[in-house]
Amino acid sequence: MIKRQNKVKNLPRVVNWLTKGLALLLGLASLAGFLSAVYLMINPGLITVASDSLFALNSIHYAIAMLLMAVLVGLIARGLWGYRNWARMALLTGLVLFILYYFISIIFMILSTIFAGLTVVPISSILRVVGMGLLFFLMNAGVPILLVYLLLKIEQYFEETARQREFVEKTVRYVLLGMAMSAIIIVILIFVFTMTEAWDSIQTIGLDTMLLGTIWRPGSIIGTENAQFGLIPMVVGTILSTLGAIMIGVPLSIGTAILLAEVAPPAVREVFRPAVELLAGIPSVVYGLFGMVVLAPLIRNIDVPRNTGFGLLNASIILAVMIIPTVTSIAEDAIRAVPREYKEGSLALGGTHWQTITRAILPAARSGILAAIILGIGRALGETMAMIMVIGNSIALPKPLTGNPLTLFLNTARTLTGNIAVEINYAAGAHRSALFFTGVLLFLMILFVNSIARFLIHSSERRQ
Amino acid sequence: MEAQSYISLAKTKKNQKQNQTGQTLGYILVWACGFAAIATVFWIIGYVLSQGFQVINYEFLFTRPAGGVSGEGGISTTIVSTVYLVVLTLVIVTPLGVGAAIYLVEYAGDATKESKLVAFLVQAARTGVEVLAGVPSIVFGLFGFSLFVLYLKFGFSLLSASLSGAALVLPTIIRTSEEALLTVPRAYREGSLSLGATRWHTIYSVVLPTALPGIVTGIVLSVGRIIAETAIFWVTLGGSFYLPQSIMHSGRSLALHVYMLASETRAFDKAMGTAAILIMTIVILNLGINLLSRRLTARVSGK
Repeated sequence: MIKRQNKVKNLPRVVNWLTKGLALLLGLASLAGFLSAVYLMINPGLITVASDSLFALNSIHYAIAMLLMAVLVGLIARGLWGYRNWARMALLTGLVLFILYYFISIIFMILSTIFAGLTVVPISSILRVVGMGLLFFLMNAGVPILLVYLLLKIEQYFEETARQREFVEKTVRYVLLGMAMSAIIIVILIFVFTMTEAWDSIQTIGLDTMLLGTIWRPGSIIGTENAQFGLIPMVVGTILSTLGAIMIGVPLSIGTAILLAEVAPPAVREVFRPAVELLAGIPSVVYGLFGMVVLAPLIRNIDVPRNTGFGLLNASIILAVMIIPTVTSIAEDAIRAVPREYKEGSLALGGTHWQTITRAILPAARSGILAAIILGIGRALGETMAMIMVIGNSIALPKPLTGNPLTLFLNTARTLTGNIAVEINYAAGAHRSALFFTGVLLFLMILFVNSIARFLIHSSERRQ
Repeated sequence: MEAQSYISLAKTKKNQKQNQTGQTLGYILVWACGFAAIATVFWIIGYVLSQGFQVINYEFLFTRPAGGVSGEGGISTTIVSTVYLVVLTLVIVTPLGVGAAIYLVEYAGDATKESKLVAFLVQAARTGVEVLAGVPSIVFGLFGFSLFVLYLKFGFSLLSASLSGAALVLPTIIRTSEEALLTVPRAYREGSLSLGATRWHTIYSVVLPTALPGIVTGIVLSVGRIIAETAIFWVTLGGSFYLPQSIMHSGRSLALHVYMLASETRAFDKAMGTAAILIMTIVILNLGINLLSRRLTARVSGK
């Protein structure tokens, strides 16, 4: 108490006026809010309710919200009157939110006049729109900005009590714990929502029919009663395209990993590593587009009847390129993690560098490299958009085009991911539920694959 | 056994020569692999850029897609929608992810010792991050579709899309922020605490500014992932080519536009143009990340 009285004595008059004035204004606002809440409760017809809106609210809801706001504003006003720092912070937050709201709406307005048209907007009208937007912003947010500036200026006159500090400490701790839980909450939500949507199909179609059925004929194509939901063709398509990707991509990736970790001089590594990492960042649709425009005509040159260029081979090549960065970087890390003594021991025994790599380093890095391959598989299983662009999306079980079994890879197919993406936007009823079941199946497959990789990585870490 | 065989191998000159040839062959093999990988990078990027630049001009960038099967028009609204989507997703995910990382690095250690419940929660949180990082994007899409689009009735909108996108990049943000916070030396925290600052005060005035470059790296990485992501937005964003007027409106991101042009129209040239813009953005972001991390390592090793 004594401390605060001391401070109040040293207050410049301007600061005192400003603070008390603000507190009075807020108090009046609180009173007005309270009165209008009461008035709204007496006359519920004042607000017409749109029943189809997002949250169908009636006037009682509005009245309660208004009442709560009035109480909050009143509390802040009282705190400000007594130079409490929490009141200042609350007011600051409110003002900043207000300013942000106007800023965002102005940005939306300006951009929608410049970019939304079918013709190019001339520079002069762009300047006019920007100028008008700025003026509008200043008109609405000018006073709040000034207030924020002043409130920041007079920080020294506000007192932060020990109790407040303690309260902040505790609250922050719990809020942060809540934030830390966000990931697991999302995982649970994903489980709950995909499972509840998929439950319908498990009940009406049956788990065995979906997991063992070889025909996928959703009702929207041939009428609901004859619909069949066998997922085997998609499972086969997913497995075959992933297998192809592994056969093409893994040797390339491991070769590159050995090069980067052991053979190449640092200068080469400086160029190669970021370039390979760039592959991971390229959007999957760009790979898909490349497959459609460049690879498909190339593959069509293979002289086999009914070869369209789209299909498993195209998908495997695209997937192989997509898993290169994943496999390369993890395998490289695994090779680098091999203890120096292994390498030095082998070299000291007279082995050449290459013998050292193949007989000492690679065996020691075995589980890490395996983990890299499995994580690559996980990535390949989950790929969606590039797949639906190049694999042909046929719903039949892929078969060889001619007597040669290798032409299987020239046939079209469909992956589990593609099955969802192609049909989800128009599916309904049991069909949609079956698509959610596809998602659950995919999720479980990837969870299984990734947990193997995690187990391998952990066990290799423990051994070292 | 291995050692003995090496010695006996090295004794004869003939074997030595054989080893040398083996080594040369092996080197050639790995160099070939490396060059094949690099050639793929340059082939794809070079092809898309060279094809794309033929259609990119002022009009392409500043007019909206005209719709229809011919794929006429530019990409202005998709650029703006992508920017909205990225900003909105970051606004949602950055506080959440950085906050989670702060708890896991700064508070979890002491808190788990104090109570069993908290220890269990922290373990669950860590597992959650690991599992979430492995979820395929189409499953995030299904989740967003059923929770935000249908259950919460947000419809196909920027809000649904960015909430689903936030779930996608949350593990990235948490992990990179955790790593950034772990690189802050203990002495910083102890110094601040011994001056009488509270824990939270120490975190936001000492620890967070020091870890900022690392956190920013994570955010830039997430921007790249959101820009590149298509499957999630295919099932949550809708795909309207008009400019979204608010966060409850449908829109179309650049990557989604590439897919829609390539699959629903014959305008492959325009798709290439859009893809070129995408690739340039990604290359610039990657350069930014490299610069950031180089500065970061220079600073850490300089200490």
